[in-house]
Amino acid sequence: MRTLLTVLFALLTLLPGQTAWAQSLPRFGAPERHVDAELLAATDAIVPGQPLTVGLKLKHQSEWHTYWQVPGDSGLPTRIDWRLPAGFTAGPIEWPHPKRLPTGPLVNFGYDGEILLLTTIQVPADVPVGSRVTLAGKAEWLECKDVCIPGESDIALTLPVKAAAGPSAHVALFEATRVLIPQPLANATGQGTIDGSRIRLSLALPAGKTASRLEFFPQHEGRIEPAAPQVLKREGDAVELYLTAAQPVKADAKTLQGVLVANGGPAAGGWIGSIDLPLVAGTVAPVSAVPSTNPAAAMSLVAALGAALLGGLLLNLMPCVFPVLSLKLIGLAQHRTHSGSLAAHGIAFAAGVVLSFVLLAGLLIALQQAGSALGWGFQLQTPWVVASLTVLFFLIGLNLLGVYEFTLGSGIGNAKAAESLTRTRDWRGSFATGVLAVIVASPCTAPFMGAALGYAITQPATVALSVFAALGVGMAAPYLLLTLFPALLHKLPRPGRWMELFKQFMAFPMFATCVWLLWVLAQQVDAGGVGLALAVVVAVGFAAWALGLSQRGAYPFRWVALAGALVAALAFAPLATSDPAAVAKAASSDDWVAYSPEKLAQLTSEGTPVFIDFTAAWCVTCQVNKRVALTSDKVISGFAAAGVVRMRADWTTRDERITQALAQFGRNGVPLYVLYDTKGQPTVLPEILTEATVLAALDKIKLAAR
Amino acid sequence: MKVTALLIAAVAAVATASSPVLATPVPGQPAPAFRGVDVNGKPVSLADFRGKTVVLEWNNPNCPFVQKHYTSGNMQSLQQKNTAAGVVWLAINSTTESHSDYMAPAKLAAWFGEQKSAPTAIVMDARGEIGRAYAAKVTPHMYVIDAKGTLVYAGAIDDKRSANPADIKTSTNHVAVALGEVAAGKPVTTSTTTAYGCTIKY
Repeated sequence: MRTLLTVLFALLTLLPGQTAWAQSLPRFGAPERHVDAELLAATDAIVPGQPLTVGLKLKHQSEWHTYWQVPGDSGLPTRIDWRLPAGFTAGPIEWPHPKRLPTGPLVNFGYDGEILLLTTIQVPADVPVGSRVTLAGKAEWLECKDVCIPGESDIALTLPVKAAAGPSAHVALFEATRVLIPQPLANATGQGTIDGSRIRLSLALPAGKTASRLEFFPQHEGRIEPAAPQVLKREGDAVELYLTAAQPVKADAKTLQGVLVANGGPAAGGWIGSIDLPLVAGTVAPVSAVPSTNPAAAMSLVAALGAALLGGLLLNLMPCVFPVLSLKLIGLAQHRTHSGSLAAHGIAFAAGVVLSFVLLAGLLIALQQAGSALGWGFQLQTPWVVASLTVLFFLIGLNLLGVYEFTLGSGIGNAKAAESLTRTRDWRGSFATGVLAVIVASPCTAPFMGAALGYAITQPATVALSVFAALGVGMAAPYLLLTLFPALLHKLPRPGRWMELFKQFMAFPMFATCVWLLWVLAQQVDAGGVGLALAVVVAVGFAAWALGLSQRGAYPFRWVALAGALVAALAFAPLATSDPAAVAKAASSDDWVAYSPEKLAQLTSEGTPVFIDFTAAWCVTCQVNKRVALTSDKVISGFAAAGVVRMRADWTTRDERITQALAQFGRNGVPLYVLYDTKGQPTVLPEILTEATVLAALDKIKLAAR
Repeated sequence: MKVTALLIAAVAAVATASSPVLATPVPGQPAPAFRGVDVNGKPVSLADFRGKTVVLEWNNPNCPFVQKHYTSGNMQSLQQKNTAAGVVWLAINSTTESHSDYMAPAKLAAWFGEQKSAPTAIVMDARGEIGRAYAAKVTPHMYVIDAKGTLVYAGAIDDKRSANPADIKTSTNHVAVALGEVAAGKPVTTSTTTAYGCTIKY
């Protein structure tokens, strides 16, 4: 039984963990300088009347950076104050394309490693051949890591004046730099459309140019929000890049000027170009924050609906759903003769399932549009919902054991209920079973569902809602088919005494689910909170027992039941107000690193491969994968051999940064497994992991690193 | 029906538990309310200063751009001149405790003392809540709020983007101009500029 396995796994993870991961940055006494500056020339001599190209070479220490002409959220562009002989004039800096440098919630535009900032010097025609000329100046920059220090250096270069010049020793560096300097993008037509804070950059790419990743660096400050995700949509040669306008929008913002960097720029096999497009007011539909680096393959609507249908079908087999539905089916088997009203029950059940899915999805979409970073499973990120579900599962268990009678769900083993099942009036019970099935199924993101949900959430609301509806149809399909074609019911086993025993046995998966839910709760609240939830469970159990007695004729127990329920309600109140954020997340129980986008950016920029486990305590698939594929000795040593840093993104409670990271991969729920190679390229692994899958992925990394 | 009621309750709980992301405050709109604690442990609430002009100055003593305006005495004289005229000046430090730039309240208060700087209050915002509410990006990021609680200026302290104190005398101080216009009952001409400085260490 998978539920039992899950609980076992869950209990295993409760074992005392090792030290929590903690890393502090190495502190060293601030060295004088973290950036070396040097002035170089492309040629070995100055030629009278001919422009001379010089370059300021900046060599950054690891982790340090300097800024582009527009520095982004903070910083200063590098500048050069020239002291040139009479007649010589210096042009502006010709900037290579920058890259995005995230720091916390902010993003800067700049450079790390080694760069050359080119300047063209106009040489007068009357400078005498045979003389020597010194070009001097002062370079000023801001060098930053997590702290910033203004840097400056006197630079100078002395060259002979000759009638003709040859290449200097640095010519290769100049050549390599020239391809990084953006030129106007030829034959590209397009425009920018602005609608409040939304900007859409529409561009028809010149023939032969493609963009699977596209970044825009604005030439003007205060026009584009530097840290906002840039979302790429493309269709053939036409690309649309969705940007966020800085607020307030300036009245004179009539153009969109800047640099486009496609597929990582020339150094990574991509291309660059500068654009200057008109910016006009218009309508821009909101897009979800799936950045243009999104490797998730676009999915067609038909495929998404199909996947959702299949995912819904599989949900029936999930450990938390199976008992409820199997009992409902057995209930049907008892009434195989009343075909007419059976169809009504089937339709009511299906309606309950589909409507609940659509309602939950609608709520999710509405909240997302209101700006909340939520994802599927968000219901279970609130402690008191988890506690409520625990109580609900406990009550179902007690009902299955026969402690009290309640027609909901099973409707068997009770003559009165069985009779009422055939009464059309009771279709409401079937509808409620449908709703219940969705509530208990929501945490079990079945295979196929993840991708379908991720797709749905990036689409317009109508498409998203139809995907969720398809999910519901898939889930309701088996039951619906049986009720519409009662002949199929004859294939089910004949009713008898075994059914009563089966019903009682099914109480235990329910109780096991309670244990699992309490374990989830323990990740969200402190021990006091869990104790409180257990106290509620006891009071509810007492009330159910008293209710059962009164149902059997001992009527005074009705008041006792009421009292028990009241106690439960009172004990529940403090739980409802508990704040999940106030409780620190459970420390990782092994040498996994806690996820943070900064840490990830730092590791990938250093060329360290990274594996990220996007998980949550309430995600069954995640827990199974963890036990099956992620914690075996073989896999652990495989990670170590490939030099992979293992990161865990724990989404048990709401975490906006993790929601955003999931969105980058077109996902909206866990599990998600991503492996970054030494070049920082991500690969998404399947949602059902095996040792072999992980090891094969690690082999690829090792090969790529060679 | 019990189950339907539970679903509705769950939905309501999720709806109330989630808070929308705060948008960038824009001059002309009400300034986001906040409560904080100053270096002496005294609570500070923006609402207490309704009726007065309030300046918010994002501060981090380790930032060269902040040092530019303090070693030159520029920030102190602006503070003095305006607090004397009844303006409330709140210096806010949003550096997170785990960052090497973080200064404990007493140490931060001592630094302001050494600088002979006397803002109305020095607010500790190590959790970055006030900073995020104002979308403050850099130190020094400056905000001016008028007596009605409307944000009237957001951006840089002046128009010379540098860490060099020598640039101060040739620059236009946007905050001084905005405060002058507010005092004269005039609308603020330049209400938004791009702030410059060090990234706030959230």
